[in-house]
Amino acid sequence: MTRKCLTLLTVLFFVLSGQLWAAGSKKKEDTGDKAHAHYNRGIDLTAEGDFAGARAEFEKALEIKEEFAEAHNNLGYVLRRQGPDNFDAALNHYNRALELNSKLAEAYMYRGVLHTLAGDEAAAKKDHEALAGIDREMADQLMQVIASGEEPAGTAGLAAKWE
Amino acid sequence: MKRLLDGAMGSGFVQGFCLLTLATLLSACAVSREIASPSWSPNPAYEWRLPQGFPVPRVPADNPMSAAKVELGRHLFYDKRLSLDGTASCATCHRQEFAFTDGEARAVGVTGELHPRGAMSLANVAYSVTLGWDDPHLERLEEQARIPMFNTEPVELGLAGREARLMTELRQDPRYQDLFDSAFPAINGIMELPHVLDGLAAFQRTLISGDTPFDRWLAGNEEALSPEARQGSQLFFSQRVGCFRCHRGFNLSGPADFEGAKDTEKVFLNTGLYDEDGRGAYPASNTGLHRFTGNAEDMGRFRIPTLRNVALTAPYMHDGSVGTLSEVVDIYAAGGRTDSPFKSPNVKPFQLSENEKEALLRFLESLTDLTFIRDPHFADPWQ
Repeated sequence: MTRKCLTLLTVLFFVLSGQLWAAGSKKKEDTGDKAHAHYNRGIDLTAEGDFAGARAEFEKALEIKEEFAEAHNNLGYVLRRQGPDNFDAALNHYNRALELNSKLAEAYMYRGVLHTLAGDEAAAKKDHEALAGIDREMADQLMQVIASGEEPAGTAGLAAKWE
Repeated sequence: MKRLLDGAMGSGFVQGFCLLTLATLLSACAVSREIASPSWSPNPAYEWRLPQGFPVPRVPADNPMSAAKVELGRHLFYDKRLSLDGTASCATCHRQEFAFTDGEARAVGVTGELHPRGAMSLANVAYSVTLGWDDPHLERLEEQARIPMFNTEPVELGLAGREARLMTELRQDPRYQDLFDSAFPAINGIMELPHVLDGLAAFQRTLISGDTPFDRWLAGNEEALSPEARQGSQLFFSQRVGCFRCHRGFNLSGPADFEGAKDTEKVFLNTGLYDEDGRGAYPASNTGLHRFTGNAEDMGRFRIPTLRNVALTAPYMHDGSVGTLSEVVDIYAAGGRTDSPFKSPNVKPFQLSENEKEALLRFLESLTDLTFIRDPHFADPWQ
């Protein structure tokens, strides 16, 4: 009985984990796509706090597939986390991500954060407005960032892992 | 929910969140397993009057919105025939000028009986995951409306046992014949109590408030907030003060429900208001979620209300035991009024200078929506 319960809990745990990573972005079959493999490795490294390593992986993903909106978004994030010197480059990647996918909620979130930290509150509010029409709950998080002016903790806004 | 937890938990968030979600899921199942979930669906035909960026409220499939139903509900909401002696209506305890509260510490029924808790604001009630201060099972406004009408402990509107008389009175009023016919064309003039409840629910769902100085500031009007209120907003949403951890999102409340909402967890928190026995006991008449579950850890847990229009809704807390916003801020700055063992970890002490406290109060005042409390769509149609 106890073993059955543990098995059920373990299965639920992994099912939930997968759903969470995939939240906000559609799943894709693992077809051996190299761009996706680098991208996923970049996400793992981001979660470990290795932003330089993650940057290299996202850049490799984009070398293979430049029109990869999520990779641009996540590259923007790891660039931004490596200091203000990278803000311009990060902004370019967020802009490119939104050029490729104007409904990519995560990119509005991260670009709004970047604008806030760079002192451009008006631009951040525009991203909040756009985001509110796509993902209200993520917009709520951006509202907190804009109003507080503080760096958000965690990686909310990281585009999901490809599966 | 995931993302909020991400923020709190850093790089180990996935594993931690999954375990927490699992625990929450199992816990929620324990609370609500006997409750049938209502069926919800969008109703694209109804034209909502929503503030910028506000989501479409979720509406039960068996009570779709219509302008006629809302108008019927407005008449019923303000109709004193919906009380034992014709002296009170829903609007007696939910007054528009107070953002649909009553300005009293605790609500008073038509027989003079004092309710254990205060009347909650109806502003944005359409987004509430649960209704009332502490009931985890009350999810539909249609069901909630029965409570003040027919409750006997305490008596509120005092209509228990008088259903037939009420319906006879309403049926005899030509104005209601027209209103019911428009709202429910299929009933062929046969008005019943469920139609009354549906109308009241439909009207309440329209009570949406989102035109405050803070909203205008967020929409790009830099002048909408005074510098002091802007400083207060920074404090409110800061990690140091952290009011936003409980009063979060566009509704500045606990989780909000709407079309497409992902985080609709039923959240009830203990703010450390009472600890009568050193073991966390609340006054016996008001134990919060505990009165439904009987679980010790649910003692003193109440729903997180919206802070929209909070300057209009004094006195504060579920029992109106705190008179002013200034006192509320002092209590939270001290980490609560007691050290109850069941107090939420979100309620922890913080330091505020006098200037910062004033700034925080100015921000809370900036959450007042004058358009809402003056909106003729929500006013008494009998006057």
